[in-house]
Amino acid sequence: MRQRVLTSLMVLAAVLASVLLVTLPMIGQAPATKAKKSAYTPPKLPWGDPDLQGLWPGTDLIEVPLQRDAKAGERVEVTEEEFAQRQAKAERTAENDRVAYVAKDSKVGINPPGYWLEHGRPQKITSLVVDPPNGRIPELTDLAKQKAAQAKQAKQGHGPNETWEDQSLYDRCITRGVMGSILPVIYNNGTQIVQGPGYVAIRYEMIHETKIIPLDGRPHPSSNVKSYMGDARGHWEGNTLVIETTNFLGDKNGIGLNGGGTPHSADMVLTEKWTRTSPDMMEYTATINDPKTWVRPWTVRMPLRLNPEFPLYEYACHEGNYAMFNMLKGARADEKAAEEAAKAGKK
Amino acid sequence: MRNTLSFSVALVGFLLAVSPVRAHHAFAAEYDGKKQVHLEGVVTQMEWINPHTWIHIDVTEPDGKVTSWMVEGGSPNILLRRGFNKGSLEKGQKIAVDGFQAKDGSNRANGSNITYPDGKKLFLGSSGTGAPADPGPGK
Amino acid sequence: MRKTLTFLSTAAAAVVYVSLTLTPSKAQAPAAPAKAVAKTVGKGSRMPDGRPNLNGVWEYIGTANWDIQDHSPAPGPMWQLGAIGAIPAGQGVVEGNEIPYKPAALEQKKKNKANWPAEDPEAKCYMPGIPRATYMPFPFQIIQSNKDILMAYEYASANRLINMGKPIEAGSDTWMGTSNGHWEGDTLVVDVTGLNGLSWFDRAGNFASDKLHVVERYNRRSNDVMDYVATIEDPSVFTKPWKISLPLYKRAEKNAQILEFKCVEFAEELLYGKYKKQPTK
Repeated sequence: MRQRVLTSLMVLAAVLASVLLVTLPMIGQAPATKAKKSAYTPPKLPWGDPDLQGLWPGTDLIEVPLQRDAKAGERVEVTEEEFAQRQAKAERTAENDRVAYVAKDSKVGINPPGYWLEHGRPQKITSLVVDPPNGRIPELTDLAKQKAAQAKQAKQGHGPNETWEDQSLYDRCITRGVMGSILPVIYNNGTQIVQGPGYVAIRYEMIHETKIIPLDGRPHPSSNVKSYMGDARGHWEGNTLVIETTNFLGDKNGIGLNGGGTPHSADMVLTEKWTRTSPDMMEYTATINDPKTWVRPWTVRMPLRLNPEFPLYEYACHEGNYAMFNMLKGARADEKAAEEAAKAGKK
Repeated sequence: MRNTLSFSVALVGFLLAVSPVRAHHAFAAEYDGKKQVHLEGVVTQMEWINPHTWIHIDVTEPDGKVTSWMVEGGSPNILLRRGFNKGSLEKGQKIAVDGFQAKDGSNRANGSNITYPDGKKLFLGSSGTGAPADPGPGK
Repeated sequence: MRKTLTFLSTAAAAVVYVSLTLTPSKAQAPAAPAKAVAKTVGKGSRMPDGRPNLNGVWEYIGTANWDIQDHSPAPGPMWQLGAIGAIPAGQGVVEGNEIPYKPAALEQKKKNKANWPAEDPEAKCYMPGIPRATYMPFPFQIIQSNKDILMAYEYASANRLINMGKPIEAGSDTWMGTSNGHWEGDTLVVDVTGLNGLSWFDRAGNFASDKLHVVERYNRRSNDVMDYVATIEDPSVFTKPWKISLPLYKRAEKNAQILEFKCVEFAEELLYGKYKKQPTK
């Protein structure tokens, strides 16, 4: 009898010990985890997914540079003095608009008037790039440098606007790519999230893109299927939407404003994270991992503000692209004028 | 006042010069910087399209001849968000345009300054201008 | 002895209980919503608010994009394509098969047809507008949220958001129009205004003007078939309203998705060819 009781007690002790070994570390961890992240939990949609829906334009961030000024080093926020300068600049811009409204002798320029721009709000962040820690895009690989040199070489002796291909994919109204569709520019930085059961859809105003992200864990297509916006797959990590996009067309868009900058390769893996940190703020990060183009991955971070006053309007770019006709015709007119001037010179 | 004005205009010019608006489909490729035009006419149509709006105007020459011009503006989406809409610039409205003519000599110009007869600029409404959806400074 | 055992086992149970409740509750994701997802994404299902669930990838099968009226087969514009480029026969989708054009408008339709394909906005990769986007030979995806309904069309990355709240007015005319929707029983009714009149209805030159007003009705007939009826009204082009009626089919592949068809590059030669430095002949 005593033997059996002793055995039972030892078994009980062992079970107890193992339970404690597993649970005690978790008990210890819980408060630490809470302290790291925001305590905000977004409301849940009726089908259980966190609700990230709404209009999240990047307009506020218009004045924030993509890359950090080298002088700022690893500082993620501007100094009080720098912030004051940003505020002063914003006030000057608003004042310029007021003045320009009634100015009788405004200078005549060749670009659209200033009042056709949208304006940001002074921000504290020094740059949109947050990794590497110096806030600057990493160095290009040798392959990328080689490609850039070849592209430059190919343009030698090539006049402006010989064909439509001499314009960017943006000015041809094809696409700005994923990052080019969200990095803030002079206007139309509309971004909207719409969710359905098993899906998240992100609409980008320029150029009327819809990124559809299935959440069911389905695989990406094979590399036979490539596209400008890539193929997106999403899942939740807690309340954060994590999107992995692959299957990009390579050597087309870059990761700069409007899709400019060094073209990324077809092997790029783009990992985006959307986290609602308060009812009207969203933290957006994008990590660009393209070992063929940059020597290391890099990350962009943007705090986006919910703005119900910023609906997306249709940006049917290609359909209204008189400019393409005009640029080509303009170049042909210049060539003709040059030809005639040469002939006249020869006489 | 004049000094502030020239400074402000210069600043706007500077801002325009450094901002991506210049990179975005170089107006300089369409228009001839040596052919400045001043047009006074009557609106016949406004195309609320992207990437840029186009205002069609009929200009009556001193000799009575009427020529049609197309004037290129900015993106209409900005205007729509400020509360303007397709009814905001009506057919028959008199406007004046300062800009540069198209390189190929056709009757097209960029709308650098587009003004009502009283001198007020069209569609300006980013702050303090009484535009339909004037959001105030910095918004 | 027995008392000791009871005490010890109670203590052990208490420790286990306490340690389990102290672990982060995130680890125990609520089970109920996961079931709700399975239910709503299933077949013939409803959204949690009781409305029909229209989520999914849909496509029309038929020749409406060639000609919304019934038609015989015909040779295509390029003999080099042989039978591949020929026009198939088709059953029409116009109720009553007649489109009530005004006489001048009928002449314009004939002109459009004669100038096909060069003048067809589809050839230029212009967004197809409503109702043509619905019956293009490309799928589209419906993302139905607890608020608005998004329709993303594969052709030319066209898309539109159907506002299910208080109706909004069109600020300007657009290619895909301004869509305001509401439910009438199990039918989604979408009122489309602010269309710019520049799209065609098909490759046969059928068209309307910027006075076009379309009222669409989407009714899910079964798990995989949805009935689509569009009432077309344009007093400057037609003598009276008329209707297009066709079925939409759910794409049944595993992992069906819309792909990317950004066709601008396929249309640039057509549009700009003669303005190149070495112009296309």
